Amino acid sequence: MSPWLLLLIPLFGAVAIFLTKAALSKWISLGVSLFVFVISILMAVQFEQWGSIGTGLRSETSWINSMGLTLDLGADSVSMMLVLLTTLLVPLCVWGSFSAITSRRKEYYAWLLILETAMLGVFLAQDLILFYVSFELTLVPMFFLIAIYGGKNRAHASVKFFIYTFTGSLFTLAGFVYVAWQHSQTGAGGWSFAIHDLTIFASTQLSSTEQGWILLALLAGFAVKIPVFPVHTWLPLAHTEAPTAGSVILAGVLLKLGTFGVYRFVLPMVPEAVVAWAPLIAILGIIGILYAALICWVQDDVKKLIAYSSVSHLGFCVLGLVALNPIGLEGAVLYMINHGLSTGALFFLIGMMYERYHTRDMNMVGGLAKSMPVWSCFMVFFVLASVGLPGLNGFVSEFMCLLGTFVSTADAGQWPGVLGPKYAAVAALGMVLAAMYLLIMVGKIVFGSLKEPDTTDRGSLPVDLSIREIGILAPLAALCIWIGVQPTILTDAMRGSVEKVLSPYPELVEKYRPENTTPIPVITPDSPTPDKEDQHG
Amino acid sequence: MISIMQSIVATPVVPIDQLLDQVAPSWAQFILWMPLISLALCGLCGAFKVKSKAPAVITIVSLATSFVLTLMLYIGYEGAQIIPIFDWIQIHWSGGSFIANFALYIDSLTLLWMLFVTGLGTLIAIYASEYMEHDVGKGYTRFFAGVSVFLFAMSCLVMGDNLLMLYLGWEGVGFASYWLIGYFYQRPAAVAAAKKAFIVNRIGDLGLALAIYLIWATFGTIQYDGIATALAAHHGDAETFTTFGGWTVHAIPYLLMLAAFGKSAQLPLYVWLPDAMEGPTPVSALIHAATMVTAGVYLIARTYPLFQLDEYALPTVAWVGGITALFAATIGMAQYDIKRIMAYSTVSQLGYMFLGLGVLSSYGAAYHVFTHAFFKAVLFLTCGAIMHGFAGQLDLRKLSGLRKMRGWKIVSYTMLIGCLCLAGFPFTSGYFSKDAILAEAFVTQGPGFKMLGWLAIFTAGLTAYYTFRVWFRVCCGPVHYEPGDELHGDDPATFHPHAPRIAINFVLIAIASGAIIAALPYFMENKTDGLTGGWVAEMVNDSPAKAGVPGAVATHDAHGDHGAHGSILGMDPHKAMYYISAVVGMIGLGLAFFFHLARRKAADSLRSKLLASNATRWLPTAMENKWYVDEFYIATIRTPLWILGKLFALIDRGIIDGLLVNGIAGIPRAIAKWFSPLHNGAVQSYAVSMIGGAALIVLLMMFMPEIMSFLQSTLIGATP
Repeated sequence: MSPWLLLLIPLFGAVAIFLTKAALSKWISLGVSLFVFVISILMAVQFEQWGSIGTGLRSETSWINSMGLTLDLGADSVSMMLVLLTTLLVPLCVWGSFSAITSRRKEYYAWLLILETAMLGVFLAQDLILFYVSFELTLVPMFFLIAIYGGKNRAHASVKFFIYTFTGSLFTLAGFVYVAWQHSQTGAGGWSFAIHDLTIFASTQLSSTEQGWILLALLAGFAVKIPVFPVHTWLPLAHTEAPTAGSVILAGVLLKLGTFGVYRFVLPMVPEAVVAWAPLIAILGIIGILYAALICWVQDDVKKLIAYSSVSHLGFCVLGLVALNPIGLEGAVLYMINHGLSTGALFFLIGMMYERYHTRDMNMVGGLAKSMPVWSCFMVFFVLASVGLPGLNGFVSEFMCLLGTFVSTADAGQWPGVLGPKYAAVAALGMVLAAMYLLIMVGKIVFGSLKEPDTTDRGSLPVDLSIREIGILAPLAALCIWIGVQPTILTDAMRGSVEKVLSPYPELVEKYRPENTTPIPVITPDSPTPDKEDQHG
Repeated sequence: MISIMQSIVATPVVPIDQLLDQVAPSWAQFILWMPLISLALCGLCGAFKVKSKAPAVITIVSLATSFVLTLMLYIGYEGAQIIPIFDWIQIHWSGGSFIANFALYIDSLTLLWMLFVTGLGTLIAIYASEYMEHDVGKGYTRFFAGVSVFLFAMSCLVMGDNLLMLYLGWEGVGFASYWLIGYFYQRPAAVAAAKKAFIVNRIGDLGLALAIYLIWATFGTIQYDGIATALAAHHGDAETFTTFGGWTVHAIPYLLMLAAFGKSAQLPLYVWLPDAMEGPTPVSALIHAATMVTAGVYLIARTYPLFQLDEYALPTVAWVGGITALFAATIGMAQYDIKRIMAYSTVSQLGYMFLGLGVLSSYGAAYHVFTHAFFKAVLFLTCGAIMHGFAGQLDLRKLSGLRKMRGWKIVSYTMLIGCLCLAGFPFTSGYFSKDAILAEAFVTQGPGFKMLGWLAIFTAGLTAYYTFRVWFRVCCGPVHYEPGDELHGDDPATFHPHAPRIAINFVLIAIASGAIIAALPYFMENKTDGLTGGWVAEMVNDSPAKAGVPGAVATHDAHGDHGAHGSILGMDPHKAMYYISAVVGMIGLGLAFFFHLARRKAADSLRSKLLASNATRWLPTAMENKWYVDEFYIATIRTPLWILGKLFALIDRGIIDGLLVNGIAGIPRAIAKWFSPLHNGAVQSYAVSMIGGAALIVLLMMFMPEIMSFLQSTLIGATP
């Protein structure tokens, strides 16, 4: 099956919505997004590159030959997992919007489907320009979703979201174009934007100074998207104002575009610069973890709290990304998926509460265990997944990211790194803080004596969750348990891709090792001893 | 999903080091699964809104099955073995792997713990079936589901074959505890206590997580037998471990300690346990007295060889334990809520257990865990029966003479048995297990161990006093009572206490008998040569904690020659301790008799005398206010962090977002005034600008060589 199906079907769906009656739009978009989900599952079944380093699902189409632009699509195992996450979340978001969106329905569902196309384009693109176009194209539907369907402050939030992330990614484009230009200067065939070629070119041919500048340029876009402290301030605003589905997509997929960008471009393209900059990036990640966690603690708005918790949580993911060893990087990729599931679900839950009480202020609502026991069960469950209770998904990835950071020392055997126990120990304080702010939140809105606003207008919704709403949350909960119990299936599947990304690093770390430390290979009894003299020669 | 399935099949199965060639009894895994099955069935009961006692029956049956299976496992036990269940976390990469399987490690230490965990679990579930009956159709299902979760997590903790499974159980019991403390979720105090328990425990969990990282980095594995193999290869010599420059083996025991002190409520992390009494009493008895809080003792016993790698690790454990024992006892003396007194007493007794571990008496610690599980459970359950019958009344000043009331005899006398054991009355189980620890403090050479020994003896006197303060006040004296505030609509004027019925009485008698019988293992004949101390010594001797068993040949003794006995007042410590602790216990009991039965007014007048004098006022005040530890933590940790949070929130909005982001955004806005027709706010114009921007980019790209050479020549001054 051609991966183009994944991109085109939602687009056709959007067109179909515009051509039909507004009342039909939600059913069309649900049907289309479910169809895309089924197709992506079928593709995953046929996908032959699980666990290996290769790219599956290939489709090569030339576009503008004179400029080397192509429409190549393809996916390795990590892209495939994120594709599955996206195609899963979109139908759930559509389904979750049935009761919330009552006006301008056509546009809403059309934008959601266009957004799906753009997101899948990011994960599937094998051409830098195609990647960039998709990356920026995600902004447009999201902009409209926030600006039209958002909360009170939606105009400000949407403009800020758009301009902030757009400005950041212009630098990313500049970095890309610089690499492509250098490539066109040296290579024989003129311009090429094939990610594969440019990655090899940049990682081997560019000087470390050039790599440093490219790293900064790429991170300018990706760090805003993740978001890394201190370029995170658009996120709480955008999350708070976005409609529920917007928040879910934002937390579930759009933030992952940043970490995916780091995984796909920063790490393989500019390894020397990463080795040099990893400690600083890690420190920003750690600051983000602790800083955002403390901010979460003093929030009254539940949605803002969860938004800040994303900043805090993705700090762990950033740490895993720059740990430069397989366990950390696999943890980071797993974190992308897990955060999408559990935080996505939390935003759904907050949305369901909001639809009933029209407030997110924890001083206004509380003790909902009394009135909404089913909702409360799900709330506690996903909070626990988010806190990292072992047996659920969040734990595995958080543990792997921290363990990867912990053993990412210069003398760590086959996979040396530039972080170490200090980084992990400080970051691990985030575990305690996460328990603190999330349980305080649960203590306020789930437990205690029942507190409801005076003007409670549930519309057509039942007091507790409807079958539809349970149907949205149940698959996410099932996945949280499944990943928590059988994470090995995912980590094995991503192994080839991760090791390919990491392949240049052991040598580089060895090269930049401070002179006077001696290698002590004790991580695993059977790992070969890195020979210092050889590496230097 | 074929390829995913293939990857499952293709997952390399790591050969599990067969400790024995015998076939592992795979049915043993049902000890774990029974509580989980019970949880699932309780969940169904909840979904179908079952309004009967069915959840209790389900839980009792499944826990009893677990107990029987544990007993069968014990009877058939011939040596340590691993029972793999499924692959949990297996991360492979070229050059290494991280493996944490879902597998069971069964040795006698595991069995010792599982026997009382499942046994008491079953009995307390029976008790709770009557105790919680007010809530049938309301929270009844939720309660038993929580108990099932707890038993599952506790089984994982005790039976897991690696530290990550222990961590799973560790956090799992913490969650179950959160669930059950917060059972009365509409009471703010219960919600706050549940939250506090989970968060304080998380600090300990942080220690455990870091310890796991260090252990994996140092030993290359987190499986118990793998660690043992690595230790054996290094002959237990700390200097030969050179990971990260060699500090890891010295850090591991302290991190594990942090975990143990969190879960087992020792200084400085004990503050959650007294508050945890907000949960229903069966929960306090099962989780917060008998089983979960001993997990810290289990952890240290399980990783005992790691503690012997650092010279000061075990002495630290001993000192923390000893000081906590004394500290909690002084608070317990001055409380009026009998359940709180029992809570502080639990903290104090856990202190004894850590003292035992620290002074190389892991046997004494394990034995005290075992006896304490029974007698403290019975004490809590009697408190629960009283609370149940007197509408929530727990104030010992408002209850008196229960012994003489109709229907309260069993409660009174089983409470007496519990009190005798806790006070270490001669020839009770508590007497033998406590002596095993105290004597060893005088035997083992260590920093200040003799002083710790005397401190612990003094604490034993305080224990006898506060224990019998409760019994003499509540069960003896003239009949007098006031109902509590949970009247359920009864009129306080015509209130009649309702005495416990068959389920509660049966369980009280059963556990009290257990508390008496728990003295017997001490006298059981030892099969192993040179071993003394009976059955528990035998059980501990076949585990990693065997270095702390009397008479055992310690593989590595960090604290001098174990064979050279010290002495107390010229006598053999073990013999001397029988007399000393009997005398001290009698003094404490005598004081309690005087102040709380014979001359009850004397206690009050002593208190008011102490309060009247400026010189002594601090003592009762501080003791009654729990030495202001909570207040201290709030002032030094919670409040500063909260202020920091507020400050960060302000900085985030004002400086990072306001000044920096909006400031930078203001620059182009100023420039953009030139292009004001484009900047008309309409969304369409944004789209137009974007297309325009894209076109600009394409143009830039086409003229890139020229631009770059221009930039290079102007900025760097060199022509390419």
